[in-house]
Amino acid sequence: MTYIPLEFYLIVSAVLFVIGACGFLARRNALIALMSIELMLNAVNLTLVAFNRWLGDNHVGQMFAFFIIAVAAAEAAVGLAIVVAMFRLKKTVLTDTADLLKH
Amino acid sequence: MNLLHSLFPNPETSFPLIAVILALPAIGAFVNGVFGKRLGPQAVKTMALAAVFGSFAASVAAFLLLVSHTSSVGESHEHIKFVWNAWRWLSIENTPIDVAFSIDALSGVMMLVVTGVGGLIHLYATSYMEGDPGYHRFFAYLNLFILAMMVLILGDSLPILFVGWEGVGLCSYLLIGFWFEENKNAAAGKKAFITNRIGDFGLLVAMAMLLNYTGSLSFSGIEAHAGELITPVQIWPIGAGLPKVLSFLNGPVHVSGATLVGLALFLGCAGKSAQIPLYVWLPDAMAGPTPVSALIHAATMVTAGVYLVARMNFVFLLSPTAMMVVAGVGALTAVFAATIGIVQNDIKKVLAYSTVSQLGYMFIGVGVGAFSAGIFHVFTHAFFKACLFLGAGSVIHAMHARIHDTDKMQDMRHMGGLRKYMPYTFWTYVAATAAIVGTPFTAGFFSKDEIMLRAWVNRIPASPPLQDMVASQAIRDAARKATQVLAPDQMEAIRKAAIQSLEIPGWFSQTIFVLAVLGAVMTAFYMTRTVVLTFMGDFRGWRIVPGWKDPHAGHGHDHHDDHGHGDEPMDGPVPHESPWPMTLPLVVLASFAIFAGLLNAPLFKIEVMRHWIDRAVGYERIEHAVKTVAEEGTPAFAHLEHMLLIPGVLAFLIGVGGAWYIYEVKKGEPARQMMASAAPLHRLVYDKWRIDELYEATVISALDALAETSALFDKYVVDGVLAKLTAIVIQSFGHLFRLFQTGRVQMYAATMVVGLLATGAFLVVPHAELVVQAEQSSGAYVLQASPGLGYEFRWDRDGNGEWDDGGKWTLMEKAQVNLAPGNTQVVRLEVKNVFGLTAVRELHLTRPLIDKSGPDEVGMVAPGGAPKEVAR
Repeated sequence: MTYIPLEFYLIVSAVLFVIGACGFLARRNALIALMSIELMLNAVNLTLVAFNRWLGDNHVGQMFAFFIIAVAAAEAAVGLAIVVAMFRLKKTVLTDTADLLKH
Repeated sequence: MNLLHSLFPNPETSFPLIAVILALPAIGAFVNGVFGKRLGPQAVKTMALAAVFGSFAASVAAFLLLVSHTSSVGESHEHIKFVWNAWRWLSIENTPIDVAFSIDALSGVMMLVVTGVGGLIHLYATSYMEGDPGYHRFFAYLNLFILAMMVLILGDSLPILFVGWEGVGLCSYLLIGFWFEENKNAAAGKKAFITNRIGDFGLLVAMAMLLNYTGSLSFSGIEAHAGELITPVQIWPIGAGLPKVLSFLNGPVHVSGATLVGLALFLGCAGKSAQIPLYVWLPDAMAGPTPVSALIHAATMVTAGVYLVARMNFVFLLSPTAMMVVAGVGALTAVFAATIGIVQNDIKKVLAYSTVSQLGYMFIGVGVGAFSAGIFHVFTHAFFKACLFLGAGSVIHAMHARIHDTDKMQDMRHMGGLRKYMPYTFWTYVAATAAIVGTPFTAGFFSKDEIMLRAWVNRIPASPPLQDMVASQAIRDAARKATQVLAPDQMEAIRKAAIQSLEIPGWFSQTIFVLAVLGAVMTAFYMTRTVVLTFMGDFRGWRIVPGWKDPHAGHGHDHHDDHGHGDEPMDGPVPHESPWPMTLPLVVLASFAIFAGLLNAPLFKIEVMRHWIDRAVGYERIEHAVKTVAEEGTPAFAHLEHMLLIPGVLAFLIGVGGAWYIYEVKKGEPARQMMASAAPLHRLVYDKWRIDELYEATVISALDALAETSALFDKYVVDGVLAKLTAIVIQSFGHLFRLFQTGRVQMYAATMVVGLLATGAFLVVPHAELVVQAEQSSGAYVLQASPGLGYEFRWDRDGNGEWDDGGKWTLMEKAQVNLAPGNTQVVRLEVKNVFGLTAVRELHLTRPLIDKSGPDEVGMVAPGGAPKEVAR
């Protein structure tokens, strides 16, 4: 039985990560930014799981992936709460309006 | 007595009763200080009195035991000392400093005086301070003072004594400024404290020198090694000396260590005991409540300096020079302060200058080697001066019924005729005055005449080791200056001259004696003047209206209020005698002032006190170190003794008679005439010879100028340049970094991404780094490549351009190259990482020719390392 080689997973993961990073850097909408972060986290998850399978003698990689999923859930909850609060304050969710620290 | 013996079977090694003596006032101070406000005046009074009288009772018990032990050793002059070693404080190298206390004949007497007189004054103060809002604070301080004074007296080493010394200074400061709401009082407290710091500096320096020379700070340790103080110390020139032009000033000046230590100690004594030039704080200290003046600034604390000189007699006796300074300063102070006392109008000021003057007498006593006479005067002075101050306090208390201005109610020009109204105060004051002016057979007569006698007859010859030291030093100095070798007769002449210079000349003793007599005349004069002005004649304070009621009654003791309306006489009540807690101490002290002299009356062949004190000072040492002009016990000495009584008695008669004539018979008319004819002189003396102004103009203004210069430096250099510069640098960095803080999350994230990419790029590219370890002697160079992720290496050790082992990649991080001296070799290393990328490093190794002179230059990290292994 042939498996999909490791490199394929890694390439997909890298592509996802770069999409996420570019999305986070380029888009001004806070919701999109959050989604981009999720994308990057999932890219990392994919890498971890792929390596876990490739190494095959233990499940450290999967455990890390679960951790990251839990952290991502928490992050999404906090992040969405921030977005809601920000919308109430500014009537917009564009990130360049959130510059209270600077001004 | 038997109980005491059984309780303390061997007090000479362990005597815990001292803990009781010290703990009681400590508890009193703590309770009154912490809980006093809530306890209320009645409890505060009980606590304070219980503490100090309990301490007195324990002191009496300790003293009785000491007497019994002393009489059990009989005629031998053994120094009996009860010791209580509390704990080890610290250890300086090999010198342990114990918290140890001891009672011997000297500290025993002082202990009784402090707790006894202190107890009476506590009793007096309970009434005197009645109604003061700071009642509990006052008694907390007073108990704390008793504790500190007992630590000072009972401390068995200089550091412990110093703890007490500073403690009494602190209490003095707190109590002088007790009514600190008034600026004048707070300033007086500060003046006392700061002036004392100068003296404390001397004491600290003395301790350091003693530790250096004798290696000990306990009294017995210093005494045992006191001989080592006789060592020449060069005091001039300091350091490298002056430039050649001034080289005639460079003649080295040597003094003995004992002189230096003695003078430094005496600086401390002059501060604490108010001697020239540091006496200025004591008259101002009268700003404190009168019981404080009586206890601290007359009876006990100010005599600490005399006690210290007596305690350290083994140091002072080694140096005739230091003794001469002590006696000379004492005599000058005795006369100088008396002149000021004559013209003062404030009754407490007169008594203050009188105290300074009497302290001068005590220093004459200890300065001529008559330690027992000095301490005996401390003893008698404590009684009569405390009595005088308390009497003055009683008078002020009476004046306070109508006059509320501090200066006015102490002014004798407003008193007079109080004899009728205050009989107890009057008679006790007269008794104490009789003692201080030296009325025959009172306490002051015996103690003062003993000092004057000793000033005339005592001589302090230089001890043989000191003579040797000075003579050999003089010969050495002469030899250094001389162009040729000194002849033996020259050397003998220098030696004789040097020893001659150590002798205290006869005229010095005679001058001291004359000054002492002069001081005695003035003392008799001004003391009689206070009696006449205060108690005789008619009352001048206000018009006495029997049954007069204070319309402002009920406003409490307000010291800022002055009810006088201009110069017109005001109405007031009949002056009243003080209540019994004030008169009882007066009566007790006055009886001691009259009769305490009988403890040491050589005239009646009673010398109890002298033998008692000499036991602590050391009979043998005094016999060796102090000579008299006539052998003691011979008819010649007795004749001298009787002859020297005459000036003393004459001084008493002239002083008292003169003052009585001027102020009582002529009602002060001659004094007023004299004042008018010599107004500038009177003004000058009234202003205390303007010494305060002199200090203000010299020392204080010099310090002020220094402070101002420092302030300018601080303002313009530290703040202006250094601080500004730092601020500018930080600020410009701040401006720079602010540009990066856009406040946009994406911007930050982009920076992070760039950073991550850079890190990743660094990790992906291999790095060939080398560390060379050279063994110069064998020529073995060990090369170590830095490790990295999945690195493989190949080496070219012989520098032939081809990789060793056929260019195989290995995990070999280390390689060794052996070189002959002077040879150079090229070594190459190639590194490959997991991505298959490679990096090459070339190294030129040179082994230097064998040269022992230079330091080892190899052994560095290759890149940027030593120039001989340049990496390319």
